[in-house]
Amino acid sequence: MYPAVIETYDVPTSVQEALQAFAKRGNDSCFIAGGQSLMQAIKARVISPKSLIDLQRVAELNGIECNQGAVRIGAMTRYRDIAADERLDGAFQALRDAASHVGDRQVRNRGTIGGSLCWNYIAACMPPTCIGIGASLDLVSKGGKRSLLAEEFLQSPLETARRDDEIVVAVTLPTPQKYCGSAYKKWGLVTDALPVVCVCAFIDLGNDGRCQLARLAVGGLATGPRRANVGEKALIGVSATDASAISDAAETAAASTETQSDMWADAEYRKKLIGILAREVITTAFARAARGKHS
Amino acid sequence: MNKEISITINGEIFQQSVPIRMLLVDFIRDVAGLTGTHVGCTFEGVCGACTIHLDDEAVKSCLMLAVQADGRSITTIEGLAANGKLHPLQKAFNDHHALQCGFCSAGILMNMAEFTRTNRKLTEDEIRNALVGNLCRCTGYAHIVDAIKEVAGDAGSISAVHQHNLERA
Repeated sequence: MYPAVIETYDVPTSVQEALQAFAKRGNDSCFIAGGQSLMQAIKARVISPKSLIDLQRVAELNGIECNQGAVRIGAMTRYRDIAADERLDGAFQALRDAASHVGDRQVRNRGTIGGSLCWNYIAACMPPTCIGIGASLDLVSKGGKRSLLAEEFLQSPLETARRDDEIVVAVTLPTPQKYCGSAYKKWGLVTDALPVVCVCAFIDLGNDGRCQLARLAVGGLATGPRRANVGEKALIGVSATDASAISDAAETAAASTETQSDMWADAEYRKKLIGILAREVITTAFARAARGKHS
Repeated sequence: MNKEISITINGEIFQQSVPIRMLLVDFIRDVAGLTGTHVGCTFEGVCGACTIHLDDEAVKSCLMLAVQADGRSITTIEGLAANGKLHPLQKAFNDHHALQCGFCSAGILMNMAEFTRTNRKLTEDEIRNALVGNLCRCTGYAHIVDAIKEVAGDAGSISAVHQHNLERA
């Protein structure tokens, strides 16, 4: 497969330059991050941009900063770098769970967190993970800056709140409370396959060891990634040793999630899988939360 | 439409004006004439036969445009040997008959050449997991995994990889 004709290619070295390039090239242009999804779409001519603006040399978009627990991940940070960063362990460890099994080694060497979020493919790991851990996305355009919660940004599959002239510059995570943990797991047909369904859990424990805040996010859904609010509520007050309460909450999360039937799994089977994955990630998130913050 | 680019492949500079839509794998095969890098799945980017090193990292050259590699350094399977001496993985693939038709071999070797550069012993699980991005449709992986284990597994001599990379550098 060969892409349709591409008229111009820009390689800006700053966000400002990238925005100027977009303004110059017009609406048929497209930003490209790691390109591990976008190039497939361009080759299949699902999209045929006249101009490509490559963000790979914008240094300010790359890298992970940790400041007293708060984390800022540049949008062009690759999966391989997220997967390797132990500073994320505990509260944001779900990111490492997800990044270390996206695609394959070659994809993880190029693919980026920002690219995945902007593409918002139905079978993607980063969208539900970022919703689960409570991430926000920083967007910049010529008109200014704005910040959106991941769950506001991510809409139906392949749709986001990003305007064409906006660049996602970073994924930010607020300083977590003392006892927070997260975990992510996907289920696919073969090892490290695209997720048929996937679940991310974030657990915040009070000093008494009981859950005071929980977030559950599910991916692989025709509706786009979604929180399972009913399941989250069922976790409040639960402690790590309440295996049956955790199991019930996972079942509740699954039952309350709207699932679809397709060639990979029917709706009922998806619910079954969501329940199992939810129980596993909640249990893991509890264990990670109980370890507390790194000193 | 076209852009003048310069890509270093196996130490040799290839400078040419190419269509922006030209894939990197096509630049390697058709412009540089290095046909050891293969095109398997043609567009999904799942088969890994086109895996090369972009600045020493394994990537799929069918999921990039040639213009994206402008100014960068690439190693292909033709550049894996050092001064005529096979990479330890190439020798192990030979010893274990880790190929049948050979179509996937170049991509697997390039992926594993980066993977084994970590300079530590790798478990079979780690090796099999690292092969997710390379499809082989003949041998069923058993001999491939055996060959990689010989180089990087428990009984392997990972230092040979290190030594080879020093000689190549």
